[in-house]
Amino acid sequence: MRAQAKRRSGITLVAVLAVAVVAMLGLAACGGGTVGGGNSGEATTAKGGPATGKLTISNWPGYIDPGKNGTVAEFEKETGVKVDYIEDINSNDGFFGKLQPQLEQGESGGRSIFVVADYMAKQMHDLGYLQEINHADLPTVFKNLLPDLQHPGFDPERKFSVPWQGGMTGIWVDTSKAPDIHSVNDLFDPKYKGKVTMLDELRETPALVMLAEGVDPAKASADQWLHAIEKLGNAAESGQIRRFTGNEYTEDLTAGNIVAAIGWSGDASLIENPNAEWRMPTEGCTRWSENMVIPVGAPNTAAALAWMNFVYRPDVAVDITEYVEYISPVNGVKGLLQERGSELAESDIVFPTEEFTRNCTGQITPPELERVNEAWQEVLTG
Amino acid sequence: MASLSRAWAWLRRNALPIYAGLAVAYLLIPIVVIAVFSFGATPKGKLTFGLDHGFTTEYWRSAFSRPDLNEALFTSLRLAVLATAISTVIGTLMAIALVRHKFHGRQLTNLLIVIPMATPEVVIGASLLSMFIYYTLALGFTTLLIAHVMFSISFVVVVVRSRLIGFDRHLEEAAADLGATPLATFRTVTLPLLAPGILAAALLAFSLSIDDFVISNFNSGTTVTFPLYVYGVSLRGVPVQVNVLATMLFLLLTIAVMLVLWQQRRAERMTAVRPQPAGRPALAGGSA
Amino acid sequence: MSLRQRLVPYWLLAPGLLWLVVFFVVPMYFMGELALRSGSLTSGYTFDWAWSNFPHSLSGHTEQIGRSFYYAGTATLLALLIGYPLAYAIAFRAGRFKALLLFAVIAPFFTTYLIRTIAWKTILSDSSPVVSVLQTLSLVPADGRVLATSGAVIAGLTYNFLPFMILPLYANLERLDLRLIEAAKDLYSSSRQAFLKVTLPLTMPGIVAGVLLTFIPAFGDYVNAQILGGTSQAMVGNVIQSLYLNQRNYPEAAALSFLMMALILAIVVAYIRLAGTGAFMGDEDEEAA
Repeated sequence: MRAQAKRRSGITLVAVLAVAVVAMLGLAACGGGTVGGGNSGEATTAKGGPATGKLTISNWPGYIDPGKNGTVAEFEKETGVKVDYIEDINSNDGFFGKLQPQLEQGESGGRSIFVVADYMAKQMHDLGYLQEINHADLPTVFKNLLPDLQHPGFDPERKFSVPWQGGMTGIWVDTSKAPDIHSVNDLFDPKYKGKVTMLDELRETPALVMLAEGVDPAKASADQWLHAIEKLGNAAESGQIRRFTGNEYTEDLTAGNIVAAIGWSGDASLIENPNAEWRMPTEGCTRWSENMVIPVGAPNTAAALAWMNFVYRPDVAVDITEYVEYISPVNGVKGLLQERGSELAESDIVFPTEEFTRNCTGQITPPELERVNEAWQEVLTG
Repeated sequence: MASLSRAWAWLRRNALPIYAGLAVAYLLIPIVVIAVFSFGATPKGKLTFGLDHGFTTEYWRSAFSRPDLNEALFTSLRLAVLATAISTVIGTLMAIALVRHKFHGRQLTNLLIVIPMATPEVVIGASLLSMFIYYTLALGFTTLLIAHVMFSISFVVVVVRSRLIGFDRHLEEAAADLGATPLATFRTVTLPLLAPGILAAALLAFSLSIDDFVISNFNSGTTVTFPLYVYGVSLRGVPVQVNVLATMLFLLLTIAVMLVLWQQRRAERMTAVRPQPAGRPALAGGSA
Repeated sequence: MSLRQRLVPYWLLAPGLLWLVVFFVVPMYFMGELALRSGSLTSGYTFDWAWSNFPHSLSGHTEQIGRSFYYAGTATLLALLIGYPLAYAIAFRAGRFKALLLFAVIAPFFTTYLIRTIAWKTILSDSSPVVSVLQTLSLVPADGRVLATSGAVIAGLTYNFLPFMILPLYANLERLDLRLIEAAKDLYSSSRQAFLKVTLPLTMPGIVAGVLLTFIPAFGDYVNAQILGGTSQAMVGNVIQSLYLNQRNYPEAAALSFLMMALILAIVVAYIRLAGTGAFMGDEDEEAA
């Protein structure tokens, strides 16, 4: 009886396996095949028209003035469009990773606008994930866009990106605990071991480290990038650097877990620590801007375009800038702030002068990207 | 001297219960922290450590004032209810088959049920993602539902099974003796007595679904569930409302468990007219 | 038995088996298939029997793999040491509080996993009173911290997986026939001997089940490391997550996951060989077996 039962279960096993193999082959034959590679074919242009319906926007946190009198509410009141404003972007790579399978298929997960960094916008565009924008649909934008943002290197004719805000990456310092930190090199000081965090963006942290060593990231070779990455790797291993973060450094500053962090200039609204202040490193910062882009499959491009025009009105843009304290791309904001008597009008963070940012560099993509990125990822994942 | 040795003896006798008390306290620490800090006032509405800004019920009153949080919670609840319904039905059927019937391939079935329970969520999430990528399927609510049902089935089977095993068949036999058809017996005798076990399994499935972070992170695309929302905000300041809602959820599930336990007691009393096998505790108990 | 009656169990099993096969087994196949591709996101991943992905994914991450064994192993051991006495107490000393205590054991499940872990992050943050107490007790160096260390990650893992250890232990302990212990005492054994020679061996299946159900998920966890850990606490799970979602290096991610799955399967199958699927499922009383 036992032997019989065993043989029967053995036969069952074989039968099941045979069926499984056949099924697998069938599955493989009837689907998929190509994975990745981006969308090929012509890029579509976003359609204009009257704005109605619902608009879903994905953005970084702390990047808009919230609440009942905020920009979103104002837009809804004026146009009747219902806006779903989602703050779900915490890092360019992370967001891209989440969305990529859908973008690959021409879907945008219901969003009509994302806000991503220059290099990410370019990456998405090259993969065919973005729609192109007709300037004729954006009169307010191109009337008020600051001149030096009109022809950037990654999108010379502004075919697929419209700047949202700009900013600088420097050092946030808890002045009550570490008042003497003024340079990225100070972050490697052993007396701050374990009390320092840095950003996990390849184009920011290693670039700043290189700047602090007197190397210009725009001209650096792959080996110089790798050298900076190695220095960071050693600091991470020794415990000098507590963590590599996206937005989370604001949490650590609030909780008092760290005394300094490489971070973004306008994040004051996210940090609940009255002693924290943003400092321009003595050797310079990285300057960047984030862009609104319209993805393929965006459900309501007309409303998206209306939104873009709306936020480029100086009276709207000034409200945003007052709250987020980042660098506005809209001409006329400074004047309005002066009229309001706001001290932000004179702030170096919101209106950095040429002099202030003389040593700053843009967000540079390193040469031999794959090799450098791999080394960086090794450091990030310990 | 005598009192010291007496004290020592008392300690030794009660060491185990004292230890149990400490261990339970340890288990409940985070829950207490979460609940307590839902009452802490903060300048910007983000969670900070310490009640030094004062005590307030403001966030309880404005618990539903954040639309993105509400939507995430609602999505999670919808997902959990659907996943629970589907997986409980499927799992119960499987449990009945496993306990009450003969069939080929028992070992294979057992294996198939056990392995998902032991597999790390990363692997489950990643493999599902691989399949969805291969077929370029859109990630979202449906893919989440599929995943949640999948990992719940095994747990439902185990819970219902353990209840079925301890089941006393005499009542069913009595019903049959009185002329009831198998289906009628099932409906009027088996199912009601099985109900607490099924409820417990459903509760477990519900908790697993609401709780799930890793698998959802891989397969949600842009749909935001409650845990995913919490993860997002944890990177930049958790709004206190999250604590409030988490505490509410905890209380809700606690009440549900009390109900299940009460049901169980009722079922036990209903079948209390049979002799207990010597040395064994009451059968109809067992872990929820 | 008629044919219809004999087919009943198959109908009952069909939906569940189908779901598990299509959404658990089949994805494993696709993960393996993905692991054999090479390429990049921009150029597309082509299937070219890239077996090298497997050893490559291992060799690049030996540190994280070793760390995962260490963290999960320690957490499992701690969970066993903490959980066994508690399970014992609930099974034999609880009286009317039994249901309440069991509820306390699963209560953590009722707050989301993430929130519990974040709560620990708050409790263990550098400026918290808990850490100050630990510093006064010299369990933590005076200028040291708890967060972003291995200790924090292990503590998180232990806490989060403790119920997975306690429940199987309890289920097993509950069935223990106390008369055997009485018999041992009648034969003049001390409490300790009775425990070592009677209780422990009889509850071994529960212990093994608990260990497996704790170690394996802990091994693949990445949330604790991400929230409570720092730069040097990344585990295998973190690597896989990073590869899939941040780097979009799908082939290497799939290869690593696949290997991890294979390891786990080996452990589970080995256990089942030794104890039979029955024991794992607590099958001793299964009727139709």
